[in-house]
Amino acid sequence: MADRFTRAADALTRCDGTAAAMTGPLLDAVGLDGVSISTMGEFLGTETLAASDDQVARVDELQFDLGEGPCWDALALGRAVLEPDIRATPRRFWPAFSPAIAQEEVGAIFAFPLLIGPLRVGGIDMYSTEPRELTAEDTAQTEVLAGIVGRHVLRRALREAGGEDLPGLGSRTSRRAVHQATGMVIAQLGISADDAHLLIQGRAFAEGRPMRDVAEDVLARTLIFTVTPDGIEEDR
Amino acid sequence: MTPTREGRLFDAFASLADTMVVGYDIVELLQTLVETCQSLLDVSAAGILLAAADGELELVASTSEQSTLVEAMQLAAEQGPCIESFTTGEVVSLPDIEHSPPEWAQFQRVVREQGFRSVYAIPLKLRDTTIGSMNLMRTETGELNPEDVRAAQAMADMATIGILHQRALRDSDETREQLQRALNSRVLIEQAKGVLAQTHQISMDEAFARLRSFARANRQPMGDVAERLVQRTLIF
Repeated sequence: MADRFTRAADALTRCDGTAAAMTGPLLDAVGLDGVSISTMGEFLGTETLAASDDQVARVDELQFDLGEGPCWDALALGRAVLEPDIRATPRRFWPAFSPAIAQEEVGAIFAFPLLIGPLRVGGIDMYSTEPRELTAEDTAQTEVLAGIVGRHVLRRALREAGGEDLPGLGSRTSRRAVHQATGMVIAQLGISADDAHLLIQGRAFAEGRPMRDVAEDVLARTLIFTVTPDGIEEDR
Repeated sequence: MTPTREGRLFDAFASLADTMVVGYDIVELLQTLVETCQSLLDVSAAGILLAAADGELELVASTSEQSTLVEAMQLAAEQGPCIESFTTGEVVSLPDIEHSPPEWAQFQRVVREQGFRSVYAIPLKLRDTTIGSMNLMRTETGELNPEDVRAAQAMADMATIGILHQRALRDSDETREQLQRALNSRVLIEQAKGVLAQTHQISMDEAFARLRSFARANRQPMGDVAERLVQRTLIF
């Protein structure tokens, strides 16, 4: 059964990184009725990037309008939130979202956060019209897929925002600082060089500062990314 | 008994030759070269810049990893004797930085802040191919003495031959690729320095020294060791 996840991971890795190209492989892997990919929160703004059908778009809309729901909880908790039978036996209760979702043709909702280290980028909502379980194995595999999706979403957002370092005098020196800081973040979090670089870039983007400045903070050890019991956070 | 200058020069050439025989590691070769210049010749600091694939010069070795010197050396890629030497393929001497042309104002300022008074640039050149340039900085004004010029030129020539020796000189694409590989390994080295600096809470200079001595002791190119440190498949 790992095959469909392997295929989905390959397809996601090779796709052009647009959200529309990513819903198909996600659906193929998990075999649900619909999936959406969204950016959420202050970092990139709250917006559905792609939805495979109107129903899942509606699930997003409800959560974004009401400011609560599985996707928000998943993002806050940094892990998947599963509602295998949201109408009959909901696991969580949301004052506004719960009654609203009961009006929809939705039996199960599974929400996955899009996280890159401490950056909370957005979420994936999946649903089926009938209640159904998602096995622990499938949940874990989907979290891996969400990791690939999250990196695509962040890269595209940064590219669109022109978040790359500006070329110019001294830019090569600044790259050296960024490379060294990347190495320090690798050791701080035990993550890949690509992710560490993305974290520094995302941090710079979020604060509207050049990457070099953030890198200098890391090198001066005034900005340290650390693993806390609740996940990864940055200390100042 | 202190070895004679001739004896020490002979040792230097032998150790440069060793670097080429043992394993093919351009970064180590060039690092040995700048350190030899610093210790044997009347120069206070040295750096080597190689042409990247985009034709721009990038710093690949310097006598210190401290960001202030690195910055001065890197700036030399954009203005000053070093870039001129690379462009013209000729030795360029600036015996007194106070007499710099106005277009080198930024280079002059940064170099002066570092306490240097004169700069000497030697092209890394073999026949028609110039692959980079070596920057020699001195804390005194005046021309470098003719013997030191000859020795530096001879070592630079030797390093150039070392870099180009496995490649057909006609094939400039292969040469460029070779140089780009060296510069790419420099990226990995910067990241690996960050990993070591974080892991052991040491300076970038110390991190570089540890990386280099590990590579030497294990007879592996620094770039390879750096890559495995960054990928966390090697930990020390």
